[in-house]
Amino acid sequence: MSALLEVEDLTITFRTAQGPVDVVDRLSFTLERGASLGIVGESGSGKSMTSLAVMGLLPPTASLTGRVSLDGAELTALPESKVRRLRGDRMAMIFQDPLSSLNPYYTVGMQIEEAYRAHRPGVTRRQARKVAVESMERVHIADAARRVDHYPHQFSGGMRQRVMIAMALSTEPDLLIADEPTTALDVTVQAQILDLLQEVRRETGTALILISHDLAVVSEIAEDVVVMRHGVAVEQAPAERLFSDPRHPYTRALLDAVPRIDDEIGELRGIDSLDSAAGVGGKA
Amino acid sequence: MSTMSTLSTATAGAPAAATTPSAEPLLHATDLVKEFAVPGTGGLLGRADTFRAVDGVSLEVRARETLALVGESGSGKSTTARIVARLMDATSGEIVFDGEPVTHAKGERLRRFRSDVQVVFQDPYSSLNPRHTVERIVTAPLVYQGRKVPGGTTAFTQQLMERVGLDPDHHRRYPSQFSGGQAQRIGIARALAVSPRLVVCDEAVSALDVSVQAQIINLLRRLQREEGFSYLFIAHDLAVVRQIADRVAVMSKGRIVEQGERDAVFDAPQHEYTRTLLSAVPRIRPEWERARREAAAARAANPGPANPEPANPEEGTTA
Repeated sequence: MSALLEVEDLTITFRTAQGPVDVVDRLSFTLERGASLGIVGESGSGKSMTSLAVMGLLPPTASLTGRVSLDGAELTALPESKVRRLRGDRMAMIFQDPLSSLNPYYTVGMQIEEAYRAHRPGVTRRQARKVAVESMERVHIADAARRVDHYPHQFSGGMRQRVMIAMALSTEPDLLIADEPTTALDVTVQAQILDLLQEVRRETGTALILISHDLAVVSEIAEDVVVMRHGVAVEQAPAERLFSDPRHPYTRALLDAVPRIDDEIGELRGIDSLDSAAGVGGKA
Repeated sequence: MSTMSTLSTATAGAPAAATTPSAEPLLHATDLVKEFAVPGTGGLLGRADTFRAVDGVSLEVRARETLALVGESGSGKSTTARIVARLMDATSGEIVFDGEPVTHAKGERLRRFRSDVQVVFQDPYSSLNPRHTVERIVTAPLVYQGRKVPGGTTAFTQQLMERVGLDPDHHRRYPSQFSGGQAQRIGIARALAVSPRLVVCDEAVSALDVSVQAQIINLLRRLQREEGFSYLFIAHDLAVVRQIADRVAVMSKGRIVEQGERDAVFDAPQHEYTRTLLSAVPRIRPEWERARREAAAARAANPGPANPEPANPEEGTTA
């Protein structure tokens, strides 16, 4: 049986006034059912573009070569109408800022119901509402039966992210992509959301791709890790191997640069030195 | 007069951490309160409901030390910083700077205070005028003070740019021509222009990529070593605070719940909230960290051609 997600030689190119620019360059990885993968990198590394490509959400100025298959079906060869059917059903995505992903004029319940009914034609309103409440309960929103009728602004940032996760889970997807899901949240709330993502994966068997700039966050969640830089996967390995024995100079430099809470590092190492050594133009 | 060089020679080689308490703190804030009216309440007859963003905060910053103010969003840490820097008036409370009350300082005294206390903000692009050149941005505090630019605008700017690790040839460029980390260096250069004694950093490294963040932290530490000023360092990131603070004050809901020497707060937190905050910080597993450090040490001891090490581990100047 094939893996849940196979990405092979994915290259994403943007047309710009200065000519084509590859923001992702021949990226390959596979994700088994129920597994978790962390994609880590700094800004401009191509990590978010990768997730948008998997979801079929790349902007029109981008073109793509290579292969993305979900459960054996080659997404890159499917017409947009078929991809749209898979998106939000078999694969779902949550973003950094839940407020901009929610419509302020509708209750969260209406929005979860709408997303659910879009993929389950023939489902009654009553059934959809039941799914909405259950999804909200699953992400531990207390008093879900009442909260389902509240508007996005009536939720805190962490609770809104729970709503987004509830919406993503309503169709019981095989794959959940979380793009910087905790970056905008306070550290205590972040810890709760990370726990929730772990729990969801354990209980529903949904595979998870976590996109983050934060190595510590990725280390807590991911079984496998891809380190990206300037569109290239410089290193990919199981988490334990990557964090205990990083092989690529960039991974090492990145790990050196992370401030640690339990240790004052004499002089934090920047990455410029690496660039000058490798002859790459830095952009600090 | 070159204020910069006199300052740096006077303090060169001084230890960054002034843990010995001096008799008189550089800055002393007592019982600061800031209330905001809740929108939509109050009217012609009734008084508006108020929300206390800062609720009785007292703190002191000693000469040459870094006091970090940490907390989550809404804790009141940024409001406190703004009050201390006189960017905002407190509802009540008192601020004493260098033995002089400055809570209601106006005119000449406020101007003097403004040259002693500078602020570096989180988003370099929005805190730098996009239509002004580096030269104009960096010398603006002096112009505002009505002071002469020592040595002439260009030479002064270039000297400052060098100090913060920027290419001095770029002194006529605009903020948009710099990367985020470089733009933050411009913000730091501007703060240095008036030789401040206290620099308030309001989430100054929060928006930066981790590798750039490391460089800016190093830069801030080096400048403090050289110039001998103090930092009031506002941050939500506890790991960053651990790298830079001498003392730490933890804020929650407008109050300081715990305050002390950095290692005491991190290693033996007294308050429940501090413990919650510390335990929530994501960490790489200690055993992985240990293995990685051992491997790195082994590589350093026995450098083989298979492991090319970056040439210069020092904080680099940006390309």
